Amino acid sequence: MLSKSQAKWFFFVATAGFSGVFLWLTVDTIRQVPERSNEDNLTDQVVRGKTIWDEKNCMGCHTILGEGAYYAPELTLAYTRRGEAWLKIFLKDPQAMYPGRRKMIQYDFTDEEIDDVIAFLKWIGEIDTNGFPREPDLAPAAYAAPPAAGASAAAQPAYFSTVCVGCHAVGGVGGVVGPALDGVASRYTEPKLREWLSDPESVKPGTAMPDLNLSSDDLDAVSAYLMTLK
Amino acid sequence: MLKYQSWKVAWAFFATCMLLLSLQIIYGFIMGFAHMGYDVLHDWIPFNVARATHTNLLVVWLLAGFMGSAYYIIPEESDNELWSLPLAWVQWASLVLVGVVAVIGFHFGWWEGRKFLEIPRPLDYLVVINVLAFLLNIGMTVFTGRRYTTTAITLLAGLVAAALLYLPGMITFDSQVIDSYFRWWVVHLWVEGVWELVMGAILSYLLIKLSGVDREIIEKWLYVIVGLTFLSGILGTGHHYYWIGAPEYWLAVGGFFSALEPLAFLGMALYVVTMARRGGRRHDNSVALYWSVGCGIMSFVGAGFLGFAHTLPQVNIWTHGTLVTAMHGHLAFWGAYAMPNFAMIAYALPEMTGRKLFSGWMPEWAFWLSNIGMICMTGAFAVAGITQVYLERRVGMDFLDVQDAVAVHFFGLILAACLFTIGIGLFIWNFIQYGAVIKRDVEPMREQSPDAAVAK
Repeated sequence: MLSKSQAKWFFFVATAGFSGVFLWLTVDTIRQVPERSNEDNLTDQVVRGKTIWDEKNCMGCHTILGEGAYYAPELTLAYTRRGEAWLKIFLKDPQAMYPGRRKMIQYDFTDEEIDDVIAFLKWIGEIDTNGFPREPDLAPAAYAAPPAAGASAAAQPAYFSTVCVGCHAVGGVGGVVGPALDGVASRYTEPKLREWLSDPESVKPGTAMPDLNLSSDDLDAVSAYLMTLK
Repeated sequence: MLKYQSWKVAWAFFATCMLLLSLQIIYGFIMGFAHMGYDVLHDWIPFNVARATHTNLLVVWLLAGFMGSAYYIIPEESDNELWSLPLAWVQWASLVLVGVVAVIGFHFGWWEGRKFLEIPRPLDYLVVINVLAFLLNIGMTVFTGRRYTTTAITLLAGLVAAALLYLPGMITFDSQVIDSYFRWWVVHLWVEGVWELVMGAILSYLLIKLSGVDREIIEKWLYVIVGLTFLSGILGTGHHYYWIGAPEYWLAVGGFFSALEPLAFLGMALYVVTMARRGGRRHDNSVALYWSVGCGIMSFVGAGFLGFAHTLPQVNIWTHGTLVTAMHGHLAFWGAYAMPNFAMIAYALPEMTGRKLFSGWMPEWAFWLSNIGMICMTGAFAVAGITQVYLERRVGMDFLDVQDAVAVHFFGLILAACLFTIGIGLFIWNFIQYGAVIKRDVEPMREQSPDAAVAK
């Protein structure tokens, strides 16, 4: 039968041995991480973004690399999935994007701070995470297909397929925050649509639609696309 | 009756536990209601403030409980008053001060934003000084004491290692990957490593006292169990390294060793149940034995079994970062770290006050209601978590739509939490009934007072 001193030896040998292996693996991990996380791209801007991320305790609601709290979305692939344009508008006024839904704190970020946070999210999204988060494998076609591959994908300008679909659906693909845009061309004239896109508040005071600050190229492209949805 | 002057400090720590736990529960309710859709406090206490407060209050009250337990156990095991009683009081006061300042600071955005280690840097230094003072006091008490026991040494080793492992969490890194890597050195190696030493030592002490089994046998198995803990727990840290940008071999290493982690907890459960059954001498404080045995069993279910439920990489890739983690977290911390503190308090109070208020409905219902409530809360998190994994991660539904779909389970969570809170409320009421021991006189060493003899 095991004696007390044998039990003591078991404890010391197991602890020392596995601590040694752990330290050795740690050294190897630190050696490999720069390449796996593209440390060359870890610019000052990314570090500033991380500082904002920590100062605001974003992990208190969100997860990143799956770590944090479970009150708000996982953000590892936020940059890849949403795109820069969408994130910019969202971070300006988070509650405008999801009126009446679960609230994110309005931080009143400056444009520079928003760029920093986005740079941080972009860098996070490029880390080799061994496949996390995995793409949904049981998704029906409507969820699985990225919006750009939807019904009238060929005609969708990039801005529409990255930003507008966050809230609006076309052909059943896209968000449900704002109204579906099928047949929008039969309800609005092009000048009215352009006015709506440039300054939603002037057309419909109190609307939940955020001011997108579209460039004139994007305005042309989006309004031309919308006019095809008869 | 009060055998050691030092026990007064232990009582102050236990009272602090009760207070901080009450606050922790309030912040838990705030989050439960927010998840249900009633985030009415959003403008004053947004979710990230409630979350940081909830988890840090937990850490502080558990540490306060461990310290109180040490101030209770070490003098008796070493048969020696604390090396410096004034230092112990200063250490208690400064811990409370740091805790209060940290919690208030969170409400004004004074924090670090790193999960579980949100306490801002200047306070970190105070924590270090505080813990050094604590360890100095406990260490000197052991070394100037009349005897060294395995239980005392294990407790001391656990506390020293916990203090050392706090340090990697204080280094800052520009890379989120390395930052996260070393953050787990603190968080994982605390809760799945050295804290288990503390828990094991507390349970050993209680079993020696409550069951009457020979100290040599209990302490031998203590070595085996903490050996198993480190054998599995150290490399088990790898289950936090699957998806953070660390190399792929962590999937194999973390998966294999964390699959062994339940063995340590199963060992602990079997050990506690066996020793409790074997005891020839039945101590009449049955509620303390309930908490001790319950601790062994619930730590296996919560930390061991539910941890295993989502620790394998092929499962974890879907469940990582969902409410499934909250499911495991609640029962694990309850079973492994809250319950040994309750066991210790339930055992120590009658010893310190000389009043035998452990029989009767109140302490027993405190045990049953809090445990049933916590099991039901775990169930509510489990249903919400599994639903979230399927709808969001596998089917690809939008995050907020899924949260709406699982909101009803948070109603269940809140009902269960009410049951839990009633149990805790009864425990605290019982604690108050025992009364303060601060003004109590110390008995002459190893002499029984007449009324204590009558009580026996």
